[in-house]
Amino acid sequence: MPSRNKISLFEGVDRVAICCYFLLVLVGFVNIISASYNDEMEVLAFGQNYIKQIVWTAAAFCIGLFILLLDSRFYHMYAYYAYGAGILMLIAVLIFGKEVNGAKAWFEFGAVRIQPVEFAKIATALAVARLMSNYSFSIKKPSHLFHVGFIILLPLAIIILQNDTGSGVVLCSFIFVLYREGLNKWICIPLIMVATLFICSFLFTPMLLLLLLLFIFTLSNAMMIGEWKMHLTFVTSLCFLALLLYGLSLLFWQGALSGYACLVIATLTGVVVAGIYAVRKNIAAIFLTLALFIGSMVFVPTADMIFESILKPHQRERILSFLGIVSDPSGADYNVNQSKIAIGSGGLFGKGFMEGTQIKYNFVPEKHTDFIFCTVGEEWGFLGAMLVLGLLCTLILRLMQMGERQQEPFSRIYSYCVAAILLFHVLVNVGMTIGLMPVMGIPLPFLSYGGSSLVAFTILVFIAIRLDATPRKGLVSNI
Amino acid sequence: MGANDAYIRRTILRLIVLGIFGLIACRVGYLQLIDRRYKSLAEGNVLRYEVQYAPRGEIVDRNGEFLVHSKECYDLMVTYRHIGKQGFDTLSLCNLVGISKEKLVRVLRDARSAPRKATLVANYVPKEVKVLLDEYNFPGFHTVYRTMREYPRKIGGNLLGYVGEVSKNDINRNPDEYRMGDYIGKSGVERAYESDLRGKDGVKILERDAHGAIKNSYMDGAFDSLPIPGKRLTCTIDARLQAFAEELMAGKVGAVVAIEPKTGEILVMASSPSYDPDELVGRNRGNNYMKMLGNKRKPLFNRAVSAKYPPGSTFKLVQGLIGLQEGVLTPDRAYPCHGGYHVGRISQKCHAHYSPLDLRNAVAHSCNAYFCYVFRDIIENRKYGSVKEGLDVWAEYVRSFGYGRKLDSDFIDEGSGYVPTRKLYDRNYNGSWNGLTVLSLSIGQGELGCTPLQMANLAATVANRGYYYIPHIVKAIEGRDSLDRRFYEKQYTKVDPKHFEPIAEGMWRGVNIPGGGTSNRAMIVGQDVCGKTGTAQNPHGRDHSTFLSFAPKDNPKIAISVYVEFGGFGATIALPIASLIEEMYLTDTIKRPELVEYVKNIPYNPRHYAE
Repeated sequence: MPSRNKISLFEGVDRVAICCYFLLVLVGFVNIISASYNDEMEVLAFGQNYIKQIVWTAAAFCIGLFILLLDSRFYHMYAYYAYGAGILMLIAVLIFGKEVNGAKAWFEFGAVRIQPVEFAKIATALAVARLMSNYSFSIKKPSHLFHVGFIILLPLAIIILQNDTGSGVVLCSFIFVLYREGLNKWICIPLIMVATLFICSFLFTPMLLLLLLLFIFTLSNAMMIGEWKMHLTFVTSLCFLALLLYGLSLLFWQGALSGYACLVIATLTGVVVAGIYAVRKNIAAIFLTLALFIGSMVFVPTADMIFESILKPHQRERILSFLGIVSDPSGADYNVNQSKIAIGSGGLFGKGFMEGTQIKYNFVPEKHTDFIFCTVGEEWGFLGAMLVLGLLCTLILRLMQMGERQQEPFSRIYSYCVAAILLFHVLVNVGMTIGLMPVMGIPLPFLSYGGSSLVAFTILVFIAIRLDATPRKGLVSNI
Repeated sequence: MGANDAYIRRTILRLIVLGIFGLIACRVGYLQLIDRRYKSLAEGNVLRYEVQYAPRGEIVDRNGEFLVHSKECYDLMVTYRHIGKQGFDTLSLCNLVGISKEKLVRVLRDARSAPRKATLVANYVPKEVKVLLDEYNFPGFHTVYRTMREYPRKIGGNLLGYVGEVSKNDINRNPDEYRMGDYIGKSGVERAYESDLRGKDGVKILERDAHGAIKNSYMDGAFDSLPIPGKRLTCTIDARLQAFAEELMAGKVGAVVAIEPKTGEILVMASSPSYDPDELVGRNRGNNYMKMLGNKRKPLFNRAVSAKYPPGSTFKLVQGLIGLQEGVLTPDRAYPCHGGYHVGRISQKCHAHYSPLDLRNAVAHSCNAYFCYVFRDIIENRKYGSVKEGLDVWAEYVRSFGYGRKLDSDFIDEGSGYVPTRKLYDRNYNGSWNGLTVLSLSIGQGELGCTPLQMANLAATVANRGYYYIPHIVKAIEGRDSLDRRFYEKQYTKVDPKHFEPIAEGMWRGVNIPGGGTSNRAMIVGQDVCGKTGTAQNPHGRDHSTFLSFAPKDNPKIAISVYVEFGGFGATIALPIASLIEEMYLTDTIKRPELVEYVKNIPYNPRHYAE
């Protein structure tokens, strides 16, 4: 236990988290130098990105110190005000902001650019933590859950209006926190299913998708209630019915019914039969399966609509190219391809500081911002990449652990929010550079070049550290 | 929410975090450690291999005079993606380079399909134009240093051969050495000595950025290599003599080959009609080549080494030598000639001369009857049992003179001529034939075919009194001490050297004794010229005119054969041409300008080649 007599600034500060933070910022700085170094410019010219980054890093450290100075209750007290300010900033940027790369998401003050969405994340995290830490709050109550949903989805909606969907989607990571706080798993599962179906609806033809759904649901139903033989007969007879219909339509109606139509008719018949069976025997599980199945069947056609109407052409292109539906090495695929080449050519030890040819000669786009991981991968190799990933992983796990050891739910929930946001950023950012995720323009925490992102992540993490550093009042629990 | 539930959820979330990082780590590891494709893809992105073309070796004549040299020229290339949006002045580019607008449009269309690759726009761009191009600096265009052939003397087209872009076949034969766009010797010396002349292309490895702009030399040039220029070749040709021979042969169809007997070096090799070798260089090559292909006189056909001519009376030298070796003839043996050789219905006519003649005078007067006797004695020799056996023995002798086979010179397209054996006659006459059937062989007619090179080689063999060196066209290759060994070895015929003197004597008499032979006009005072005329009948028109000669009789310096298709008597055209070339070579002057005029103005328009 820390001594009460010598309370200093760093009293109770989590050393592991702080070390990870500083190391990541350092690694990021080194890579930004390499990625943005340009022979044609003077080494110390102010225009050079890394000089700007030095200024931003210094600013971030000052802000971090300031956060440690403030009383921990301050954050709890002003959480809603921060949220309100965040929403106002988002609305302001929608009106007065500057458009960069098609997204109206930036404020510009002379040479300084700020992206309010970075700060809106902090505000949302604080607000979510504040709301959910209310003594009367219960996640089981739909109205309370609705409140949380509103807090999360309001900024998300505004961000989508800014045409910055990528950054907005980060807020979806709060489901991580909700799960920790006891969200019913039956809400999680459909959400995951919807996401999977969304992707599948682009990968497969409707016919194949329907068949797949049929088999998966029958299989899961069989797993729930047993009676394998009956389920097998059910599926087989459905397929037989579809084939029979198709044969008849070929023989008597000159093929008026397509194979897909036959399958749909057979499936609907099957749903009716299963429904009657469920009513007779009163088996709840079958009802659940049927409901999910019908939900999926309705969702699949709407997925295309959502895809067409909400996403912008370039986003659709990226998703389609990620799913391998369209392939265009010099177009949408180009960035990911070059990024994979840069990382892949790094090998075990990498090519060395400033020696990465793919980086140096601009084959990788956005190499100092969103694709900074390519610089790490190419110049520092597998070892460097593992170091960075290890630091990030340690930081995230540490944040979760810090959350768990809190007495105050506010601190715990906030810590989890930070962990979730970081995890989502890492997954999407690193995932896109190695072809695991579609391209979304969100930065890699602490490493990507960019002042507002560095400052925002610093604030995010340092608030968690500050909350954790609050002298624990003797009731230390590790649960 | 119970503590237990919280614990489970916490654990699940930790596992999710670890799972996500594990997945990312596996993927990164796969990209960096397992899939090696990315390394080469990265190099392909960055490295550009720029060929540094080696200049082709020069060719000089035996006196060091340039026959071929390499002139710098440039390939104009375009890289489509560097052209830029503002475009360029197509008209001035076309005018400058000398290509049509349609061609440029076509090239640009091709270039667009591979926008990062340099595409050839025009080759053989001269240096002066290159300088202007640099000045204009058309975006996306650059020039590449190459060399092109230039022929200062404009002689020896067929002999030297030409250079052209490699064909698919050439690449398939040598996939490691040739790439598309390389040049290769297509014929003549260029082809025979391709590996020496070519040199070795160098390579420059450059780093380029994403826009294709060159940034740096890769590893400071550690893996670059400099081009090694082709070696200089010294030809055995005497350029002055070659030019003179081509001048004399102008307008006629035939070939001249002159050999230095004591080395086998070819002094002159003129195939007529010839062509200006510069015509097969540069952008007009294709057109000119097609034009030459269409020419009935076949200027691209190197008659000197590839044509198959009946040797005519020049072959009597061989006949006499075989007779002497076989012991069926002595130099003093005389045969009568009654205007020819008559046996039953068969007769071989002869021209008017006194009779009987011994071997020396028979050679000098070119008596047909004499050599009919000799030939029949050879093949009907009882010791061989039958004429058929005898003919095969005879054929073996003939082949030892280099007839009927390739001489193994350094010409790739060397012809082998033809010497008949019993097989041919057995087939043609169903096995029933005798010495009279093949009688025309005795005077070098019938089925015999020889190349002018083989005939010149016979002259050299007689000049050397019994042996020859394999004729060759290259005297020295830069950086090499010697040529192939075979060019330094004396090649003996199957006839003992002691038998050659009477034949040489006969050739001398034919030239130098007034009225003593057919070759009197070939006399050059003080040079002891030896010669033998030939008049070869042929089914296509007038007789072919041919002349074999060497001089001086003792210590010969030049052996020559001239063959003029449809030229009439050997003494009519072939003899004066041979004699003038000998005079030029031996005395460095021409004291008989009237003979030059005669040769140049002689009416010559064979029906066979009439358009």
